[in-house]
Amino acid sequence: MGNSANKAPKLAGVVGFFDTPDALIAATKQIRGLNYESFDCFTPYPIHGLDKIQGLKRSPLPWITMTAGLTGFMCAILLQGWTSVINWPLNVGGKPMWSWPAFVPIFFELTVLFAGLCTVGGMFLLNGLPNTKKRSFDNNITRDRFALMIDAPNLKTADEIEEMDDGEIAKYKARLAKYKAFDEAEAKSILQGAGAKDVRSVEARGWFE
Amino acid sequence: MAHGNETVRNPGPLKVDSSTTMIFTVLAVVGLGGLAAGIMANAERGWTSLLFNHFFFMSLALGGLFICAIQYATSAMWSAPVRRLAESFSAYLPVVLISFLVIAFAGVPHLFVWANPEHVKGDVILEHKAGYLNFTFFLVRNLVAIGLWFFFKAKLVGNSVAQDKDGDIVHTNRNKILAPMFLIVFALSFTMSAIDLLMSLDPHWFSTMFGVYAFAGLFTSSLAMMTIFTIVLRRNGMLKDIVNDNHLHDCGKFMFAFTIFWAYIAFSQFMLIWYANLPEETMYFMHRFVSEPGTAVSWKMVSAFLLVGKFMVPFFALLPRDAKRSESRLMKVAIWMLFAQWIDLIWIVQPEFFKAGPRIGWIEVAGLLGFAGLFGLLTTRFLSKNNIVAIRDPKIVESVFHHHQ
Repeated sequence: MGNSANKAPKLAGVVGFFDTPDALIAATKQIRGLNYESFDCFTPYPIHGLDKIQGLKRSPLPWITMTAGLTGFMCAILLQGWTSVINWPLNVGGKPMWSWPAFVPIFFELTVLFAGLCTVGGMFLLNGLPNTKKRSFDNNITRDRFALMIDAPNLKTADEIEEMDDGEIAKYKARLAKYKAFDEAEAKSILQGAGAKDVRSVEARGWFE
Repeated sequence: MAHGNETVRNPGPLKVDSSTTMIFTVLAVVGLGGLAAGIMANAERGWTSLLFNHFFFMSLALGGLFICAIQYATSAMWSAPVRRLAESFSAYLPVVLISFLVIAFAGVPHLFVWANPEHVKGDVILEHKAGYLNFTFFLVRNLVAIGLWFFFKAKLVGNSVAQDKDGDIVHTNRNKILAPMFLIVFALSFTMSAIDLLMSLDPHWFSTMFGVYAFAGLFTSSLAMMTIFTIVLRRNGMLKDIVNDNHLHDCGKFMFAFTIFWAYIAFSQFMLIWYANLPEETMYFMHRFVSEPGTAVSWKMVSAFLLVGKFMVPFFALLPRDAKRSESRLMKVAIWMLFAQWIDLIWIVQPEFFKAGPRIGWIEVAGLLGFAGLFGLLTTRFLSKNNIVAIRDPKIVESVFHHHQ
């Protein structure tokens, strides 16, 4: 528990559990229509089409892959061109110095290597992983339960607001005004109304707390 | 997610209007007439045109059967609504038989130097190869191959069509046994066919990758043709609510993947020969990179076209996800890929006869249009006699309603 023990536990959000994917999809449609700032679904296996129903946008990951791949390709040209044509011209079998067909396998290898590593790295980065500030709130979501969590927005305390300048306050208020205000009890009853079998509040707890 | 209540609308057989049949008939008559006139006017150009156009459409007919077989061999779900279109290509097989017989009995002396005893005499290598490269064996083994293709077409496509009537799972189970058998027969017989009809044009030269090179062309062009059929039928409304964007996406992914496969095979064949630099192997690429003066377009330009047109253009055109889900983009790329395959076959055949550069004129185009007319006639006739969708395939409901990429 450490030093967070004497603080009041912070609310991470409200979660509702469903027995079937169909019930989860129906609830997701309803919750999305309410315009909360943030909510997420947790399922034991991928449910096709759920990302669209949640309104998730497509990931920019392919652009990272593309950029990395082209970078790898250029690196392979420079590496081989510089080492075997410019810095230490190497005659192999009487062929021209810039015998590019011989270099093509390396063009391919470095393209794939850069693209592959950066795709994995970019995936972690875009997903914000590893995230030690969150932990699983119920192990059953990896087994047989379908959950929908409405996140509590990150509200500023009165002290923090006092320290902000006018521009920051205006921005903060504009952010809050864009979405439906979060209220723990109301969110719980909405989830119950959407057909959740079991509704709970979740405390914000990290891996090491 | 409940299965069971959903039924797939049966689009029925294709209704071919008389103008379509008319266009294909005119194409076939004019094209083949032009080809015959071309053979009279210029035997070398006429026969080479017949040869590579024959191989182009033979690849499509066999490729359709190959696509059908891999769907059964892998129990594929996604392809159930489009498989019948690939099956329709195999209706062209009778023309394969006839045009092969024409080549064998009239074209061989013009096309294959190994068939000329005067040429073989005194050439140690050709004398040694005569055990394989002689007319009788050439005729017999190719006829056996075509016979096997007919047999598997009758079985695989026959079972698929029969299932439309009784909906019996037994047809699927039979095809699951036949499909892997066909795939083995196909790999061996098509490699042989490619060696006999294309590689033996230069009987001194050999490449152990030639069969798979020809296969790469077969598969890319067949996938492109299947995509074109799908989009045409989707546009005229027959496949509405049956083929969705996810099916198109899968066709696009296949075309994209095997564009890369072709580049990989083509480059592997080239690099090994280029690196080893053995005279009897490099002359194949010498004929295609160094042209005698005389034509505006040299073979080197055609070689460069293949790198750009057969690999880079389809690769970058199909790279974005949205491109593979767009009807119009897929249609353009598919037509382009068929064009590139045609140029590829010209690049394989013609340098053995015309050292200066490609000859693409009315004789070559007439051959293409003539066979295209026959291909159109036979495939639309097949589709007008059978449902255009394998409507009682065990996977069809899942594929139409639950196929998400």
